[in-house]
Amino acid sequence: MAALPAMRQLGCLRSLMRTPKFSPMHLSSRFISTVYSKKPEPIPFPQNLPQQFRSQIPIRLQPEQAPKKMKVYPPPPSSRAVCKDPVAHVAQSQMAVLDPNGERKALFDYRRNPRSVKPGDIVRVTFKNGDPFNGVVLSIRLRGVDTSVLLRNELTRVPVEMSVKTFSPNVQSVEIIQRSQRKTRRARLYYMRFVLELLGSPPENLLQFRALY
Amino acid sequence: MNPRLGKLLQLSTPLWGVQWMPVRSLGIRSLNPPKPSKYDTGPGLPVLESAPEAALRRKARTTPHRTGAITIKKGMTAIYDQETGKRTPCTVLQLDRVEVVSHKTPKQHGYYAVQIGAGWKHPENMTKSLLGHFSAHGLSPKRHVCEFRVKNESGLVPVGQTIDASWFQEGQFVDARSNSKGKGFAGVMKRHGFGGQDRSHGVSLTHRSLGSSGPGQGGGSRVYPGKKMAGNMGNHQSTVQNLKVLKVDAENGIVVVTGSVSGPKGCVVRIQDAIKKPWPEIGPAATAESEIALTEEPAATAAA
Repeated sequence: MAALPAMRQLGCLRSLMRTPKFSPMHLSSRFISTVYSKKPEPIPFPQNLPQQFRSQIPIRLQPEQAPKKMKVYPPPPSSRAVCKDPVAHVAQSQMAVLDPNGERKALFDYRRNPRSVKPGDIVRVTFKNGDPFNGVVLSIRLRGVDTSVLLRNELTRVPVEMSVKTFSPNVQSVEIIQRSQRKTRRARLYYMRFVLELLGSPPENLLQFRALY
Repeated sequence: MNPRLGKLLQLSTPLWGVQWMPVRSLGIRSLNPPKPSKYDTGPGLPVLESAPEAALRRKARTTPHRTGAITIKKGMTAIYDQETGKRTPCTVLQLDRVEVVSHKTPKQHGYYAVQIGAGWKHPENMTKSLLGHFSAHGLSPKRHVCEFRVKNESGLVPVGQTIDASWFQEGQFVDARSNSKGKGFAGVMKRHGFGGQDRSHGVSLTHRSLGSSGPGQGGGSRVYPGKKMAGNMGNHQSTVQNLKVLKVDAENGIVVVTGSVSGPKGCVVRIQDAIKKPWPEIGPAATAESEIALTEEPAATAAA
């Protein structure tokens, strides 16, 4: 049948029919370098060795003179294992004092909290000395204790920007005056600095200004 | 006569009946050894300014009384003052298994210093000689070892004593020395702040190079030693002085200092009492703790 020309193409399957042959020689051959050889046991020093032979043996090989086994002491408990991230530890201890309820954190965590302050909102920050400052939020810099917001406003037709550290003890309260009319497409609204220049004269009211953009 | 031959050969009168052997003296010897002057001996003479004692005396005012500690720079954050609301940027340092390894004394080494070790290194990755150095004092192998100069023997903390973060007090000032960040091979503009050359006006291909490396025939036609040139920048030791300790957390081994410290995160920072501020007052509590630690340590080693 195998001789039939039509079946000749199936000759390639012949190797599947064969039973695999493993030669024991092939399996056991290894490189000399990989052959495991057990470390030889040290030959004990002969007892009752006459003095004339003993003096011929090098001093370091004589049992009394052999180098002493060095004792390696275990390490003391590690403070590094106790506190893996000391920077976070210091920052958290700060946060526990500055923002014990986590309200301020939630107010500016615009990545996670949908009700937080967002870029484009108009907020009023009241400081401890009583000064208020209104402004459009240009950017929120989320850095743990160092979180800050960049506010922009026009005071007596002079553009003013103020970076406020949100967790500073000087900041008494932060309230949202107006949410942005539509969703801003970017997180940093620095382009708003140039919008006023294009307008020529800034609008009287900040809310109007915000309504334009 | 050959000066290398010993004195015996140089005797003018021969000794009869003695077998003569040339005596070899090895090493370099002065042909004209200094003769002691009769005016240079006796009590009450001033110590020469070039002597090591004089050098130690000059340094005594600015040598700290206490040893410092090896710390690891962990990063920076900020601390707010609750009353004033002032924000202070700070660097967080961590002490890890800082122990006294050995001492340096004037008799043997010429000065007082405390050798401090920190961290832990696997004994297999350590040379046998260094391992023996630690084992001889009953200490585990240390990853970082360095020494801190102290003024006198009262600053020599006993070997084996642990130095934790409470060694430093909140409000005291420290000097922090560490290796700055390496910048690699840098040009003169970056490395020394040279002005570079013009963008145009005929300058070609040498906009950022140095102009001249020195005068010609009038100046000796050579480059003077120490000429500022391009080369390896950074990764050299830099000391930041007078950093205030803002926070100490002995449990976690944290020391927080004001401002910045040279080097990347994870680098070794050595902190010691600031030499330009009054030495800190060591409270009785700190010394009591150290005594307790001292009494406990020998018992622990005996048990081990």
